[in-house]
Amino acid sequence: MIVGEQKPLAEIKDKVSSYSKLLILGCGTCVKTCFAGGEDEVAILASALRLSFRKDDINIKIEELTIERQCEDEFIKEAATAVGRNDAVLSLACGAGVQMIANRFARSPVLPGVNTTFIGVLEKQGLFTEKCLGCGNCMLDIFVGICPISRCSKKLFNGPCGGSQNGKCEVNAEIDCAWQLIIDRSKSFGQMDRLITYIPPKDWRSSQAGGPRKLVREDHII
Amino acid sequence: MNASKLREVLSLGKFAVTAECGPPRGANAEVINKKGTLLKGYVDAVNVTDNQTAIVRMSSIAACSHLIGMGIEPVMQMVTRDRNRIALQSDILGAYSLGIRNILCLSGDHQTFGSEPGAMNVWDIDCMHLIHTVRKMRDEGKDLSGFELNTAPKMFIGAVENPFADPFEFRVLRLAKKVAAGADFIQTQCVFNMERFKEWMRLAYEQGITEKVHILAGVTPLKSARAAKYMATRVAGMSVPDSVIKRMESAPKGKVSDEGFKICLETVHELRKIKGLHGIHIMAIEWEEKVSEIVKAAGLFPR
Amino acid sequence: MVENLKVVSATTFKPENAEYSKPKITLFHCINAISSLTDLVNLNCDITEIQMPCSSMTREVFLLRAFEAGADAVIVIVCPKGTCRYIEGNIRAGKRVARMKKLLDEIGLDGRRLEIFYIPQGDQTALNDAIYQITDNLAALRSNPTA
Repeated sequence: MIVGEQKPLAEIKDKVSSYSKLLILGCGTCVKTCFAGGEDEVAILASALRLSFRKDDINIKIEELTIERQCEDEFIKEAATAVGRNDAVLSLACGAGVQMIANRFARSPVLPGVNTTFIGVLEKQGLFTEKCLGCGNCMLDIFVGICPISRCSKKLFNGPCGGSQNGKCEVNAEIDCAWQLIIDRSKSFGQMDRLITYIPPKDWRSSQAGGPRKLVREDHII
Repeated sequence: MNASKLREVLSLGKFAVTAECGPPRGANAEVINKKGTLLKGYVDAVNVTDNQTAIVRMSSIAACSHLIGMGIEPVMQMVTRDRNRIALQSDILGAYSLGIRNILCLSGDHQTFGSEPGAMNVWDIDCMHLIHTVRKMRDEGKDLSGFELNTAPKMFIGAVENPFADPFEFRVLRLAKKVAAGADFIQTQCVFNMERFKEWMRLAYEQGITEKVHILAGVTPLKSARAAKYMATRVAGMSVPDSVIKRMESAPKGKVSDEGFKICLETVHELRKIKGLHGIHIMAIEWEEKVSEIVKAAGLFPR
Repeated sequence: MVENLKVVSATTFKPENAEYSKPKITLFHCINAISSLTDLVNLNCDITEIQMPCSSMTREVFLLRAFEAGADAVIVIVCPKGTCRYIEGNIRAGKRVARMKKLLDEIGLDGRRLEIFYIPQGDQTALNDAIYQITDNLAALRSNPTA
């Protein structure tokens, strides 16, 4: 899923301070699963903002609404009336959702309430980790299921570097050295010769480096 | 200067000595002149680091050029952290045109450690790719895209290996991989843990790697017990045995750096006995004046 | 679920300001932790009781809404560690309260207005102590500035 974290209250408060009628728009998909912008988070944030503004003697009117996803027009249009009756929208969706809302409701100021961080997994309750950078050309078979682009701090294709120690990355001891994982897994398959094979440089055109990407499925366009 | 002097020394079977020079954090080349003067004549070549530890310094290519002006042979270090394959190849061509003949290929320290932790890193290619690229430019006269270069940069290609990083069994495999990619010489992380180093060299020797590549062992004279402890605990991939730290700690006040010097000499002495080891790389960081003393005391002078 | 208890008379709480009204405390409790609030010590405060079938129903939004409704302080009473009937309820309640205390600081209301207490069933003394503690906090914090 896409993982993000809600912005700090002070930052959000600052962003919405010039509006008297605010719609906090939540998203029921990715950001809900990482507890950043789902229905519950919308309710908590709305309450916190009301309290915080009231303490400043400001009476801000906050409407709360959560739609299934903010990355599909089918769901976004359900928010139209709510958006229309407020001065601004604080979207708690990921960056994609925020932009789609801004695009759809072109006359409404749309503000982000979440910092979108990575494509990742829920490793265990309460722990989300980055797994994929969307490079556009998956080579996970070559790297026995561990991606060096997203999980090696230096994107090494022929790692590890000299800073790998006790299976941890030199950048931060909480980060597992991806190359240690690749080596261990190669060993478990009895495929250590993989590690001697020279993996050539990547063609980054399939990644964001080649420019913003799109996917067109003609077979779905009527 | 038409050919790599370092390559010449090594191919003649001589025990080579290289040292290191860190460029200044400023635009004045005077620091390089000072360091160069301390090293000239005592070493076969001087490594110039490339924004080491991700701290902004005068560029390696510029500092190397200053050394050439002093009649000193540089080894230009190149990390792949800050520049993509376009810029790296461009600098390889530029370096050769300036008379630089040796390149050391590294991935580089992560930028979060340096003076610009908020900078975007590059790592378009890794050090293995860089070795391969330099070799292609040299041997095929083509750049990575296949374009024929008007003059091929005939570089002597170096890489680093760390026998003290984990996992140990992989470190010899990686050494072999770098050699296969095109490394002509290897400089290792500094040796304090002689046992582990000897084991790594033994494996390299047995696998015939020492016949395909010139390995130079890193040595660093310890200035203080604190330096020893810092290296032992804070520098990734360094192995400093307790016995070494104890020696530094128990040395009498005023004689601590002498003890460090002594340990360094003992290390060099041991290293010279190792089969397949073709030289030493002295990293006397901010203590460049010691290099000449080490070289002389180790019986490696005149060069 | 919301039941107003009968007001109890003053003993230990001494308001400085004559206009200062009785502190309003919202008390969330798991029904396994407390079965009855009728034997609470006499204190000059308004207690709004909110029963929960399990302490895991301690939801952040309810804690905040209690303050929006005018509470000066909120206390959460759950079973002691290791004795939760539903195993994790009290652990989760504890974590959520900790998070909301921080948020209350960020809001500017002060996290000391919210406390959690782990009280064995029937321990009337501990329950009374909880009320004492929160009213103590309130003596310094005063009434809810957003009410």
